[in-house]
Amino acid sequence: MIKARTDWTGLFFAAALTVVIVFPLLIVGTWAFTNVWRYPSVIPQEFGLKYWAATTARADVWTSITMSLSLASVVTLLSAVICLPAAFAFARLEFPGRNILFFSFLAGQAFPKFGLLVAIAGIFLNLNLIGTFWGVILIQLVGTLLFMIWIPVAAFQSVDRRMEEAARDVGASPLRVFWSITMPQAGPTIAAAVLLNFVGTFYETEGAWLIGAPGIRTLPVLMISFINNQPVIQYGAVLSVLLWLPSFIALLFARRIIGSGSFARGFGG
Amino acid sequence: MIIWPILSAIGRTLWLPGADGVSRFSLETYVFFFSDQYSINNLMVTLWTTGVCALLLLPICLPIALYLRFAKGRLAAYVQGLAIFPMFVPSIILSYAIIRVLGPNGTVDLLFNSVGLPKIRSPYLTPWGPVIGLVWDNIPLTVLILLSGLGAVSDQSVEAARDVGARRWAVLWHIILPRITNSILVAISFTVLGIFSAFTLPYVLGPAAPEMMGPFMQRTFRDLNDPTNAITQAVISFAFCIVFGLFYVRSVAKNRKT
Amino acid sequence: MAVLDIKDVTKIFGGTVAVERFNLTVADGELVCLLGPSGSGKSTLLRMIGGFETATSGVIAIDGEDVTRVPPERRPTGMVFQSHALWTHMNVFKNLAFGLKLRRLPPAEIKDRVEAVLEQVGLAGYGQRQTHQLSGGQQQRVALARSLVLEPKILLLDEPFASLDQHLRERLREEVRDLQQRLKITTLFVTHGQDEALALADRIVVLRAGRSEQIDPPDVVYRAPATPFVAGFIGTMNLIDGVVEGGVFRHPGLDLAMPVADGPATLAVRPEALGIAAATSAAAVIHRVTDYGTHAIVDIDLADGLRLKAMAPDARAWAAGTAVALSPQAFAVYRDNVAIHRAGA
Repeated sequence: MIKARTDWTGLFFAAALTVVIVFPLLIVGTWAFTNVWRYPSVIPQEFGLKYWAATTARADVWTSITMSLSLASVVTLLSAVICLPAAFAFARLEFPGRNILFFSFLAGQAFPKFGLLVAIAGIFLNLNLIGTFWGVILIQLVGTLLFMIWIPVAAFQSVDRRMEEAARDVGASPLRVFWSITMPQAGPTIAAAVLLNFVGTFYETEGAWLIGAPGIRTLPVLMISFINNQPVIQYGAVLSVLLWLPSFIALLFARRIIGSGSFARGFGG
Repeated sequence: MIIWPILSAIGRTLWLPGADGVSRFSLETYVFFFSDQYSINNLMVTLWTTGVCALLLLPICLPIALYLRFAKGRLAAYVQGLAIFPMFVPSIILSYAIIRVLGPNGTVDLLFNSVGLPKIRSPYLTPWGPVIGLVWDNIPLTVLILLSGLGAVSDQSVEAARDVGARRWAVLWHIILPRITNSILVAISFTVLGIFSAFTLPYVLGPAAPEMMGPFMQRTFRDLNDPTNAITQAVISFAFCIVFGLFYVRSVAKNRKT
Repeated sequence: MAVLDIKDVTKIFGGTVAVERFNLTVADGELVCLLGPSGSGKSTLLRMIGGFETATSGVIAIDGEDVTRVPPERRPTGMVFQSHALWTHMNVFKNLAFGLKLRRLPPAEIKDRVEAVLEQVGLAGYGQRQTHQLSGGQQQRVALARSLVLEPKILLLDEPFASLDQHLRERLREEVRDLQQRLKITTLFVTHGQDEALALADRIVVLRAGRSEQIDPPDVVYRAPATPFVAGFIGTMNLIDGVVEGGVFRHPGLDLAMPVADGPATLAVRPEALGIAAATSAAAVIHRVTDYGTHAIVDIDLADGLRLKAMAPDARAWAAGTAVALSPQAFAVYRDNVAIHRAGA
């Protein structure tokens, strides 16, 4: 029996990344289930769920969770309705002004996002959209447009034209081809894009704060105030774990497309 | 949707409403920005952070990407999973985790203390805080972009180079690097654009003064209620990023055509 | 059971003419090969018949019915694509059943027909497989079955075996030929491989730059190529440019009497029709002898550098460096792209 050569480089990267990436998150996780942890003990003095009860009993936590969820749902829905047909048009049809439109979308990536948000906020100030629900929806929508056009365009383009032609050949109408062939083929990637979009919006902090505060308070905005003003560490830790849940779900679903490379190509790699 | 806000931003900062309600052309907000020591310090610290992050990211991510390109098996899958993982950690949770680990009386302090070492000088609330956070946050995309560039380097071309006698470093320098120059530049552009506009991490982890452009703009806009100056700051950060931005857009567009 | 009529069909993409004034009638149950180099317009022609491109001008009719502007889903044609184009999100059964479902057939009948056609292509019992679990040859068989199950009037095959290896290609070629003869289905087959065309076709259409050069049965295309292009494209052919003076074709190292008017001409001789004999003049010298066992191919260099091939029964009779005299037994002479004289054959 031949023993495989030990992959030292791999072990090194695995160990280093584990320490740097997993370790800090484990600490937060530990804090969330800790009742008492006083300096300088290396491990907490008392584990428990005391602060889960305390955190979930807070009204501001619940209102911000509802706010974040409804914001993310509305934004995702709107951006899917706007972007998916646009993505299909970009991927398959030739129409006048296609390139100009395309470049204007691209141009959005040429500017630092926060600066863009400030510029838009400046316009919203005149439109009295500051501090309103729809103001936040609009600004978050801007952030998602690119993402939601980009990845679906790549997904539609990667569907083999001849598969669609073969379906026409056996008697399917263009609409039927779209539903029975194009969508199932592009579907997983698009579903992942929608999911990532939802999660991204859920965590979006900058726009929500810039436009929404103080009336609209999303979960991440609440988290910032916990970090800055809350002496009880566990509140933040519990909230972090709660906050991370949607991301964890996204992680489970989206692993496939992100590993597959078409995602990185979407970013111009 | 995108061009219009930018044009309007430029317009609004150049034509200021006068006392009599009539707009007049003026450069005074820009003059103010560049004559104000505080603003300049903020810009400098942003540039410094961006530069340091870009410099740190490449030596960290390139070896990882190289390893992932040529390694196979479970360990490589694990490394890839970890490298992509930060993408699924919102920056706000990351900030919190960094405070807990590296902050005063954080986990590192605890561990050092238990073996009798002195406390570290915490990077929390210093310019190094955002640097650590931003590097952490940007690892996944940088690795992915580099990896996708490395995908274009065929196994055969590497083997052919080995065949004519090239050593590891020669292969890296003469065969691999020239092919992925574009990917490296894209990764850098992306990082620069991302960091210039970073908000959460610098806001939570960084010092109160000088602050990075993100928090600076936000504070000017909200707390000082001075949108004109905030937009001026935005336009100035546009100007600093335009080179990277244009490069990025160009390479994405090129990528799509082929 | 169908007749295909193509009348004066032209296709222009942007500014380039892909197919120019093309005419062809395919009889019921006939198998016609469209043969030509890449860019000759053969695939474009096939795609126009299938409905994936619309002819710029001209008429395509199936059984006398004009289908020129009918979309592919309403044409009685079935196409097999080069890259099989199977729907990877469906298993084999669903791939075959999709078209039948669109026609609203009862499930029991769909099942029967799918099973019958799988049997025909030698894949009985493969219905529940996923497409990626099949080999390249099996995938192409499924693609063929997907077209056949709808009983199209016309079967179109677009270089269906191009991505397969030589051995598999020959086997599938036989299968397609058998199937086509059993079902008596009118078939058009696009290929750039001359041996494929010679082995399969009832008639071959040789295409060049969007125009048809010759439409004839394989033996005629091989033995009496209509143009120098066809002569050079099908099989091995020695093409010798020369001048006819006083009834004698002249080229350095080769003089040949022929009843042709004076002027430039191209002489075409197959290797098997080029006789060689030992000689003293050094105008034609053997460069190399390749022994194939059953016969030998002798490469001969003429004085001006032109290299000819001749077939000889026994390799041992010839050696490199020997001077030879050439005597074409059967040949054709071309002038202005048409054959002006044939001899032997």
